[in-house]
Formats: sequence, C-alpha cells, structure tokens
Amino acid sequence: MPMDYLVWLEETPFSTWMRESGPAFFSSLVFHSVAMGFVVGVHVATDLRILGVAPRVPLSLMRRFFSVLWVNLVVVSLSGVLLLAAYPAKALTNPVFYFKLAAVVAALAITRSLLRGLLREPRYDDDPAPRKARLLAALSLALWAAAVTSGRLLAYTHNMMMASHQY
Amino acid sequence: MPETLLAFGQKSGIYDFMHSAWGWPTVESLHFMGLCVLIGTVGMFDLRMLGLARGIPIHALHKLVPWGIAGYCLNVTTGFMFVVSAPDQYLFNPAFQVKLSLMVLAGINVLFFYRFVFGPVKAAGATAVPPTARTVAAVSLTCWVGVIVCGRLITYYRPPYHWCFWC
Repeated sequence: MPMDYLVWLEETPFSTWMRESGPAFFSSLVFHSVAMGFVVGVHVATDLRILGVAPRVPLSLMRRFFSVLWVNLVVVSLSGVLLLAAYPAKALTNPVFYFKLAAVVAALAITRSLLRGLLREPRYDDDPAPRKARLLAALSLALWAAAVTSGRLLAYTHNMMMASHQY
Repeated sequence: MPETLLAFGQKSGIYDFMHSAWGWPTVESLHFMGLCVLIGTVGMFDLRMLGLARGIPIHALHKLVPWGIAGYCLNVTTGFMFVVSAPDQYLFNPAFQVKLSLMVLAGINVLFFYRFVFGPVKAAGATAVPPTARTVAAVSLTCWVGVIVCGRLITYYRPPYHWCFWC
C-alpha cells in the first residue's frame, strides 16, 4: 500500500471526522464489539452443538439462529470499515490486520460448507455429527478465537497511527 | 476502596503481570472471548425464548447455558484483573458504574428466572413460552448488550475528565 495513498485517505474530510468526532469513533467501536459478540456467538452455539453439547437440540434447526448472524455480519463489516476509515494506515500497515481478515474468511468458509452439508441433514438431528464435521467445528472455534485475539492486538501491534505523521 | 484493590493487585502479582509487555492485551483477548461465549449461549437461549428458532425445545437448548456460566466466570476473573491493576480508571468511571449496575440487574433477573419462570417453561412442554419468560429474556439480552456497550465505553469516559456517581 503506497504511503501517499494512505496520506491522501486519512486527509479526506470523512476520515478526519471519524478520527476527531468522539461519538462517531466510539459508536463504531461499540457496534463493532456488540456485533462481534453475536457473530461469534452464533458460531459458538452452532459449533458446540456439532461437538456434542446440547445433543437434544435438532442440529438442522440451528440454522434458525443464522438470521442473527447475517444481520450482525453486516453491522460488524460496516463498523469495521468506519474504524478503518479513521486510521487507515494503522491497520493496513500491520500484518496482524491481514491475519485477522484471513482468520475471519477461513472461519466463514467453514460456516458455508457446514451450511451446505451437515446443517441441512435432518439425520444428524439425533445422531452425533461425523468426525470430519466435529473437526471443522473445532477449527471454526479456534479461528474465531484467533480473529478476536488479533482484533484486540491491533491496538497494541501497529507500526504507526497515521501515515502523515509517523510515530 | 481503590487503595485496597490496588494493594491486593500488587501483593498478588496481578498488577505486575497486567503491566508486563503482553499482560493487558492477553487478558483483554480472553475477556472478549468470554463475552462471545456468553452471547453465544445465554444470548441464544434468550433469543429462543423471545421467539427465534421456534421448534428448538427450550430445555434442550438450556444445555448450552453452563458454557455461558463458564464464560461469565472467565470474564469476572479477567475483569477483576483489570480493576485491581488500575482501580481509579474503573471505580470513578461512569461507564464502569453503569456496567456493574447492569450486571447486578442481570443477576437478579437470573435468580428470578430460575426461581419462578424456568419450572413453568419446562412444564409447559417443549416449545411453549409464557409471557413472563419473554420479559425475562428481553431483560437479560438488554442487560448483556448494555454490559458490552458500557465495557467498550470505559475508555471513552476515562476519569478524571468525566463525572461519576460518587465524585
């Protein structure tokens, strides 16, 4: 990412406003955190169920919680873009940010494959999920933990706050 | 009060750990993961009582709740580690005060639920939800979302620049 582009980006009126308005910045943080809770939360519930917790919950009905996931995925993405707009260089020059995005994409790829297979199979409503599905559920939990951790670490691992005055 | 907490933090070694290079970010990451587990279990249970995912038997979904209690305990522990490592920043912080009040309210709500509501809900059969249960679920969900909002705002209302209830 060329530095002049980042400088231009952070000097746009919108980026300046996102940075300097306390309410704009903090409401984005608040929405990002609450939506994170629900995005990861729906995955925690579904993955735990696949791993054998609450075995009498019909597995295929877990999809009924996914409307909550989609809504909050939109909120988490939009608020994430707003936070990125406030300090573009802070995240975009930090490898941890790309690791976080990769973890989220990988976790959502698992969700997609589970939604296409296991979660549509009424026969697993009562029977334990196959071994492969359990491994995917465990991997999904690990990826979400990695995404949450790397998200939190963005506040500690950045190389610079802004491209225009690097410190 | 702040002195007592700080003394405990220093004597127990928590203070030194938290102020070491990776102490604070590590414990914050665990705090965020605990939050996700709480929303993913107790939050999904509340959503079910509010009418989402009809068809999932309530007592079957309740098997997720012990994981939520584990998440809660993780967050009380990690939260306590923050507080004893910088008591002034929390005790005199309006966001923290509202957060604790909401946790007390959520606690009373939990006691009320298990004393008066969960029995009738189980007795009413697999899927029926009495109106009291909906109210309890709405209070629970509102409290926990409020707790996340206030938690995130602790850094916004940093003392001594803001008012608080007793200073």
